[in-house]
Amino acid sequence: MSAAPVLEVDSIVTRFGEQTVHDGVSFSVPRGQIAAVIGGSGSGKSVLVREIIGLQRPSAGRVRLLGTDVWSASEEELTALRRRFGMLFQDGALFSSLTVAQNVATPLVEHAEVPPHLLGPLVRLRIALAGLPVEAATKMPSELSGGMRKRAAVARALALEPEMLFLDEPTSGLDPITARAFDRMLRFLCDDLGLTILLVTHDLDTLLGVVDRVIVLAVGRVIADGTVKEVMRVDDPWLQSYFRVRTMLEGPENQLGT
Amino acid sequence: MSAPERDCWLEGEGDQATLFLAGAWHLSRIAEIDAALAGAAVPASPIALDGAALTRLDTAAALALLRRLAQAGASVARLVHFSAGHTRVVEAVRGRLGDTVAEAPPRRYGALAVIGLHVVDFRGLMHGHLDFFGRSAAALGDIALRPRALRLKELAAQFHHVCVQAIPVVVLVTFLIGIVLTYLLGLQAEKYGANIFVVDGVAIGMSRELSPIIVAVIVAGRSGAAFTAQLGTMRLTEEIDAIRTLGLSPMQVLVVPRLLALLIALPLLVFVGDVSGMAGAMTVANPLLDITPATFLDRVQSGLRLDHVIVGLVKAGVFAVVIAIIGCRMGMTVSRDSRSIGTSTTSTVVQCIVAVILLDAFFAIVFQELGY
Repeated sequence: MSAAPVLEVDSIVTRFGEQTVHDGVSFSVPRGQIAAVIGGSGSGKSVLVREIIGLQRPSAGRVRLLGTDVWSASEEELTALRRRFGMLFQDGALFSSLTVAQNVATPLVEHAEVPPHLLGPLVRLRIALAGLPVEAATKMPSELSGGMRKRAAVARALALEPEMLFLDEPTSGLDPITARAFDRMLRFLCDDLGLTILLVTHDLDTLLGVVDRVIVLAVGRVIADGTVKEVMRVDDPWLQSYFRVRTMLEGPENQLGT
Repeated sequence: MSAPERDCWLEGEGDQATLFLAGAWHLSRIAEIDAALAGAAVPASPIALDGAALTRLDTAAALALLRRLAQAGASVARLVHFSAGHTRVVEAVRGRLGDTVAEAPPRRYGALAVIGLHVVDFRGLMHGHLDFFGRSAAALGDIALRPRALRLKELAAQFHHVCVQAIPVVVLVTFLIGIVLTYLLGLQAEKYGANIFVVDGVAIGMSRELSPIIVAVIVAGRSGAAFTAQLGTMRLTEEIDAIRTLGLSPMQVLVVPRLLALLIALPLLVFVGDVSGMAGAMTVANPLLDITPATFLDRVQSGLRLDHVIVGLVKAGVFAVVIAIIGCRMGMTVSRDSRSIGTSTTSTVVQCIVAVILLDAFFAIVFQELGY
């Protein structure tokens, strides 16, 4: 595998009118890592992800994703690039008028030449890889619970064998047990299938449990970048209070998780 | 020894049989890989897989491989020279192979069964409408007992939307219909020198039949569809549930104002249509049939009995209730997906127009028998 990072974000600046959301955000993510972006509400985490995957143009800066410069690429290059990563939106964004299986089949039918006899099994493999029971395939998104909807969205994001997966608050709105199972699935996708994952999260347990690396956004900049242990030592009032919640709950000796 | 362009080939026999895999086994090449596997003549016995020449292996390709092996009756005895990553991919897919078995395709129904299904659906739909009508009537009854529960603001807003904003289109359409009708009748009546009876024909035709029907169709398309879309969206965003949990009744808050607004608006709009249609007739009567406006109005007064106008207005009231009930109910019962708002809105318009025309035919017979 190449040593070059899968994702390079270089001095991104984002302004909405007078307000500056990002003021020179830079980081890079190597292959096979689960990286998390954290930051207070309004620190521009979701905007950053939208800028990385080409949905929203930053005011300045460069994004290099899987070897393609996202904001100077042609439409064809972008289309080719979009097949190589998956995105999980906050509420799943499943097509509500299609069953789960049809949702997962949509990108496969559009972008891959799958022999007809393999399409059904492949769709169900995706559903199984995302940790959903087989019965979920024929259900409509409105019939699924929040956790299952997120898994169905992961199954759709995995459809085209992406090299990278972006997740926006994947565990928000899930109960802790479901959320931890979701975390384990992320670890499996990363370790066994070799995906690189960038997620936006507020979930401390996700950070402590499965994430290799934490990128902290505040006042428009990356104020800390490293493993959870390293980030916890950074002397920043917001970060300190962020991790203190956890310390209060479990006592200092458990705060690093497992 | 091995041609690099080959995806897979078999070497050895019996227990020694080994399937060599080579190149990039990726989703983008899945059709070629599957074809290569189909041509590999895999024996129906345990075989070894050699992945030394594999540059890439993803879950889709692993699935194609394992399924082809399973179909041939072969099983994987061992993996040789597989990288750690590729081994994990194969194991991940192997562990889930059972989940990928196709389930029975959905049952197909014959023509007769489809007709039956639709009849049952239709019965359910009618039953639902009737039920909703009953609940609306009960809600109206509540209002009659406690007039202060009526939401005047919402009623006024709905009335503005349903009636005031509809006046231009109603005036335009009925005015043109008045012109067309006069022209058509005039051509025939002129042959018999019966020009003046055109006025009777247009006045009675407009006020009794055409204006109510045309206005009802316009309102069904404008307001019936709007009711369904508004209430359907509110249901999708759980606003209707919120209204209920706040201790309010969606019937009182949403349905009654719309029903009353339409009940007041439709007869008014029909009257506007009557006047506008006759105005249209009057404008062409002078140049076409030599009937001056004064003669026209005089003839309307003597030729158009009030009964005809009242029949038209009464029908308009009934149409209003039907459109409001169908529009609101279809909105309140959309299922929770984005497409159903579209299908429900379409269905509302179709149902309203069909119901209006059916009812109109029914009224034509009843009023005839009653001697109006």
